[in-house]
Amino acid sequence: MTDHKLLKKLCTASGISGDEGEVRELILSEIRDHADKIIVDNPGNIIVFKKGKKRAKTKLMLSAHMDEVGFIVTDILPDGLLKFACVGGINDSAVFAKQVLVGKDKLPGVVCCKPVHMLKADEKGKNPSPDTLTIDIGAESRQEALKYVRPGDSVVFDSIYENKNGRIISKAIDDRFGCLVLIEMIRSQLPYDMTFVFCVQEEVGLRGSAAAAFTAAPDSAIVIEATTAADMPGSENEKKVCCVGKGAVVSFMDRASIYDKEYFRLAMDISKELGIPAQTKTKIAGGNDAGSIHKSRGGVRTIAVSVPCRYLHANAGLISTDDAKAVGDLVRELAKRICEQ
Amino acid sequence: MEDGDKVNTKKMLRILCEETGVSGREEEMYDIIKELTEGFSKDIKQLPTGTIVVTAGNKDADRHIMLDAHIDRIGLIVTYIGENGFVNAEPVGGMDLRALPGTVVTIQGKENVTGVIATLPPHLVDKEKGMTRDDIRIDTGLSDSKLRKLVSQGDTAVVKSFFRELLNDKVAVSALDNRAGCAVIIKAAELVSGKLDNIKLSLVFSSQEETNESGASTAAFLLEPDEAIVVDTGFAKQEGVPSGQSGEMGKGPIISIAPVLSRRLTDRLMNTADKLGITYALEVDGGMTGTNADGISVTRGGILCAVISVPDKNMHTQTETVSIKDIEDTARVIAEYIIGGAEK
Repeated sequence: MTDHKLLKKLCTASGISGDEGEVRELILSEIRDHADKIIVDNPGNIIVFKKGKKRAKTKLMLSAHMDEVGFIVTDILPDGLLKFACVGGINDSAVFAKQVLVGKDKLPGVVCCKPVHMLKADEKGKNPSPDTLTIDIGAESRQEALKYVRPGDSVVFDSIYENKNGRIISKAIDDRFGCLVLIEMIRSQLPYDMTFVFCVQEEVGLRGSAAAAFTAAPDSAIVIEATTAADMPGSENEKKVCCVGKGAVVSFMDRASIYDKEYFRLAMDISKELGIPAQTKTKIAGGNDAGSIHKSRGGVRTIAVSVPCRYLHANAGLISTDDAKAVGDLVRELAKRICEQ
Repeated sequence: MEDGDKVNTKKMLRILCEETGVSGREEEMYDIIKELTEGFSKDIKQLPTGTIVVTAGNKDADRHIMLDAHIDRIGLIVTYIGENGFVNAEPVGGMDLRALPGTVVTIQGKENVTGVIATLPPHLVDKEKGMTRDDIRIDTGLSDSKLRKLVSQGDTAVVKSFFRELLNDKVAVSALDNRAGCAVIIKAAELVSGKLDNIKLSLVFSSQEETNESGASTAAFLLEPDEAIVVDTGFAKQEGVPSGQSGEMGKGPIISIAPVLSRRLTDRLMNTADKLGITYALEVDGGMTGTNADGISVTRGGILCAVISVPDKNMHTQTETVSIKDIEDTARVIAEYIIGGAEK
């Protein structure tokens, strides 16, 4: 069962890469009474050990990342507008005219540029590039803005969370969904001992997981993620990569990793055996913390299971609740089988 | 103004902006207008074009002033129900299409249906190429049967945005064009309530300005006012907006000067603002104004018109921004204009 109330809390929390504190505190409060050992390391990863009924034959680590894509304030202009940089691989075309929240106090702001009525002929029909945009918090001068905002402050999308009719629309499903799967496992009775890591800075180069994997030193790892589904008009056949509503996505390869072949087969076999819907990607696209985990220390056998998500790196992603359940079910069974091998 | 009034203006604006009422669907605004105006008038009706008219003051008075604010908002209209939960939609009014990719919308179907405007992942598209009116797809995420049950061709959709308060008494939300103008004429009518012994006042919440300006001129034909003040949103000063066509936010209304407008009325608006010590900017147009005044001024045998606007940033996006103070100042100028003496 997916704990939708907790997923909403996780998705609406703010935590761009490098500023995951709020998400970390939330996760710690949710797992504190259910784990045997919790470490918060120097980069800010949470490393959790939990005893199961039996000792595992294979030391397994389950990984999800806490950070989300967003923006960081780089400068404040004389008229009080904020310049910003994108944090993570934001979909450029989805930045203009979005509502955002700035800094620790979540000051409302809007992303703006020249009004459409004033565009010159050569500017029409084009998406404004993020570096031409500014954030308006209503300040009238640099001096006034500085009372509320400093360069380096984090900015997140001010977005809805809706769970209705079998689908969820929210920001930050990537990868608060993965965090949810881990939390639910930590709160449950496990068949075997397992290690869980909630990582920082995935979106800026798979960084937190490198340190977490070193410390956890697993034999094997499962990465739980949200991955790009491009099953929409204008994208045909293999270009869809994966489809919302067709189950958990098990990858054999992406831009960052070649996954463990046996684990890939095992996951697909479990899907068939237990009737858990699963699919694989039809293009070598995307990448996640598996890219750093599989080459940690002397090497880690790694597999990724993801929920397919449309509009992944934008203000409002869309997933199916059935897919979310399938990922949870598949990951639990896969973890058990890996541990007993 | 007292603080209490400010809260009321903000609250009223929020109620107005959070309601639907895309061009052609102005009936969705009727109950709200009734509620917001019943403090000073119980005389409300809807005209065949969808325009809502509230009458106040002395109905037999010689002087009949029409305050016009278009109540329709830009939006989308569903044109085709596709597969896998996607529907095609086209803009109603001059939507800024640059703002659409990834935007959350609400379709006014059998029940409200939330959707996301589809945007292909960066690896599949030319990043620079903007959306055109032919490729707007709303992703509802619904199954085909559920979608067909809830959504039909001709349903409208509005962009979902939060009513957010920015610094310096500014607010950002979609539909401020022209729910801000609607708030202005309601506020102005409140200010002159009880002082209209010799004046008939028609508040015209006109339909379909964003599509073809048809609601205001047809209302003017039926109402036959002596003069009309058109209240709309104008460009606030920001990057790319030339001075002479904009007003600085928080520094009062924008008053228009144009060949199609009555210079006499315009001068009186300016004098009234001066008298009240309210600053204003001028927008000077070489011909028509791009507002309802263009139609009203040549309705029947011609009706004297002036245009006063609330400065609005990020026009026709979900991040439109206005100053509450500007709304109140604009209302004060209009109220004083109404009771400050007969025009004729």
